[in-house]
Amino acid sequence: MLRACNSQLRPAGRIAFYTIFVPAGLSRADVRRAARAGPSAVTSRGRQHPDLLRSAGFTGVREVDVTEDFLRATRAWSEARSRYAGQLSEAEGEASFRERQRDYRLQARAIEAGILRRSLLVAERAG
Amino acid sequence: MPREKDTIGRFNSRYSLPVTDAALAVEREVIGANVGASGYTTVAQADALIPQLRLRPGTLLLDVGAGRGWPGLYLARKTGCDVVLADVPAPGLATALARADEAGLSGHAYPVRAAAQHLPFRSGTFDAVVHTDTL
Repeated sequence: MLRACNSQLRPAGRIAFYTIFVPAGLSRADVRRAARAGPSAVTSRGRQHPDLLRSAGFTGVREVDVTEDFLRATRAWSEARSRYAGQLSEAEGEASFRERQRDYRLQARAIEAGILRRSLLVAERAG
Repeated sequence: MPREKDTIGRFNSRYSLPVTDAALAVEREVIGANVGASGYTTVAQADALIPQLRLRPGTLLLDVGAGRGWPGLYLARKTGCDVVLADVPAPGLATALARADEAGLSGHAYPVRAAAQHLPFRSGTFDAVVHTDTL
C-alpha cells in the first residue's frame, strides 16, 4: 500500500498517516492477544513502519508516538457510549452494541499492557 | 480476501446505521466535532496533519480509506485544498458526498470508489496523501 501511495505522489509530495500496530519483540502469546484486542481491520502486526516507508521510496521519515491519545480515545468511546447505552443499543442492535463495548474494553487493556500502540508517521517522496 | 470482505461488510453495516442524537453526542465528546468519525483520530490530531502535509489552497490531497470523509473533508475545509476521497464501502462515500455538499465543498472534494492497492490515478497526481488507521 505504501508503494502505491508513493507512486501517486509528485516528487517531494508528502504522506502522513496514523497507524495502530503491535510492536515488535513481543512473545507469540502477546502478539495474538494484541491482534485480537486491536481493531481487526487496521492493526498491523510487528511491522516497522519507518523501514517500510524507506523501502517504499520515502525519505525524511519521522514517527511520533500517540499511544496515550489512543488510550484516551478508546476509553472515551467506551465511557461515552455507556452513557447512551439505551439509544445506541436500539440503533445498533443489543448484541452489536455489547460486542463493540467489549472490544473497547479489551483494546484499552491491551494498550495499558503496552502490546498495542499507535503512531503518526510522516515522510516525503524522494524528489 | 475473505478478511477483506469481512472488513468491507462490517464498514458497510456501520456506515448504514441511522445517525442518532446519541451517536452524534458521543462522537462530539470523543473526537471533538461531528465529522463522520468512528475511529481514534481526534480534531486535534487532524489539525496536526496540516503543517506536516503542507496543505494550502491549490494542494491536491488523496485521503485513502476515507470512510465518511474524515479527515479529508475537514482538511479541505480548513485549508482550502482539494481532496480525493478513496474507499470501497459505498455507504461511506455516499455520506462523504453529502457532507461535502453541506460543507460547501462541491468542486473541491471528489469521492472515488477504489481500494488502496488499486488506485485509479496516474502516477504523480497528488501533492499529499493521508490515511488514518488503514494500514
